[in-house]
Amino acid sequence: MIEVRDLRVRYGGRVVADVPELDVAPGECVAIVGESGSGKSTTLMALLGLTEGAEVSGRVRVAGVDVLTASPARLRAIRGARVALVMQSPQAALSPTTRLGTLMRRALKLHGVGDAERVMAEAVEAVLLDPAILRRYPHEVSGGQAQRFAIALAIALGAEAILADEPTSALDVTVQAEVVAVLRELCAARGLALLLVSHDLALVSTIAHRVLVMRDGEVVESGPAARVLAEPSHPYTRELLEALP
Amino acid sequence: MSLLRAERVTLGYGRTPVVHDVTLDIVEGGVGLIGESGSGKTTLARAFLGLLTPMSGNIWYGNQNLKKADMRRFRGDVQPVFQAEALDPRMRAGASVAEALPRHARHRVPELLEQVGLDPALADRRPHQLSGGQRQRVVIARALAVNPRLLILDEPTSALDVTVQAKILDLLAGLPAGRLLITHNLAVVGRLCRTSHVLFAGRVVESGPTADLLDRPAHPYTLALRDAVPRLGGEPPAARGRAEARPARTGCPFRLRCPMAVAECESAPALRDLDGRRRVACHRAEEVLREPSGRR
Repeated sequence: MIEVRDLRVRYGGRVVADVPELDVAPGECVAIVGESGSGKSTTLMALLGLTEGAEVSGRVRVAGVDVLTASPARLRAIRGARVALVMQSPQAALSPTTRLGTLMRRALKLHGVGDAERVMAEAVEAVLLDPAILRRYPHEVSGGQAQRFAIALAIALGAEAILADEPTSALDVTVQAEVVAVLRELCAARGLALLLVSHDLALVSTIAHRVLVMRDGEVVESGPAARVLAEPSHPYTRELLEALP
Repeated sequence: MSLLRAERVTLGYGRTPVVHDVTLDIVEGGVGLIGESGSGKTTLARAFLGLLTPMSGNIWYGNQNLKKADMRRFRGDVQPVFQAEALDPRMRAGASVAEALPRHARHRVPELLEQVGLDPALADRRPHQLSGGQRQRVVIARALAVNPRLLILDEPTSALDVTVQAKILDLLAGLPAGRLLITHNLAVVGRLCRTSHVLFAGRVVESGPTADLLDRPAHPYTLALRDAVPRLGGEPPAARGRAEARPARTGCPFRLRCPMAVAECESAPALRDLDGRRRVACHRAEEVLREPSGRR
């Protein structure tokens, strides 16, 4: 679903992300972990061609599209519909004057998805939200509900992959647990490919199959999550693990 | 005698109470206030800082009512540490710290920066020229300038990277001042506080030694909080879709989210003594204690 080889993102000649290899298969969750400035979010954005002003090289295939060479129209066709982006604060991206249901209906129409009412009901149920939420405005829902709505939107549009950038770091711990559980179940039940960017190794260990650890733009270690987190081979991974409170 | 004590305090904004009838002492060894957004923990901290007057009940500062206390002396004893965003963006780090010192003691700036592990050469930098961890250290240095007896810490590390957080926690644990720590992160509270209070919907639902609360919660909410914290290699939590149910207006406020709720929970449980060390507001606390010890 996602295939990256020798991806390099440079801003003004400085390499901010250098990823030799990154693959995410359907039904798989891969996590990129690291601290501020490690290049994890840049990598995620590069997968959707959202690195304006940067010099990007390498090969990035997402949902069968060569992102680095694709036309803007082709990129628009995969963004949202086939590959969804879930950000840290979805509320900031939702129009404050539009009810969530209206917003979802418009998105479905834009991407030509039929039978909107049924698709919406099903998507909202899949993320354990009350259907009444569709009548609410963004400011009337909590952070966790907004985040699950963003995931529901991805499902309604039939996304095959979700790219999630710190999707739970602004949430209370109990709400975080629910959002993570929803993502995990969707991955398993619908074969979604999930690429998760997070600074929280403990969280990652409960959901990711494979992990890439990044520091200062470089991948310092990668492998199966169970192995990397139980027997880290790089001193930086060990440092991250030891810092867990 | 504890330095600060809340006695049957109800707090609110306008006429709406958001913290109800809370009694707690800030004792030695660090005190944690744990709860989610909207639990009232920051409101309670504001009252402890003298920034919010109780609608009813009293805050005691030693044997004085805080309403009538000498606020100058109080500010020397009790200092807040907020998230680093509270620094003035135009002010250099050294000037920020100096501002908190009396004029004759301003030579202490380098010493204070060193105390919080900062190179005194950073005094010339403005907040945007410092990292998040460095900014948080400046905030702590500023609070320490008056040699306070108590620091009131409101989520001091929640915006920091995990390696930076670990260093700030070490720093805080080694400071001579007492601590009231407000957080939603149970792991952090375990490091810094011997005693903790869990707040839900503005009410204390469980109080006691932090180690007991984390090892064997007696309230279903404490249990839910503890089990929601992801653990390295631990089992992922199951989604129930109930974490955001609103607090109930009558009876036990947690009952709409509680997996153990029964008809009895429609009457509000009082905060009662459980084993001489702990207080809990749950009709079924004894059964909660018998729950298997989580995913540890």
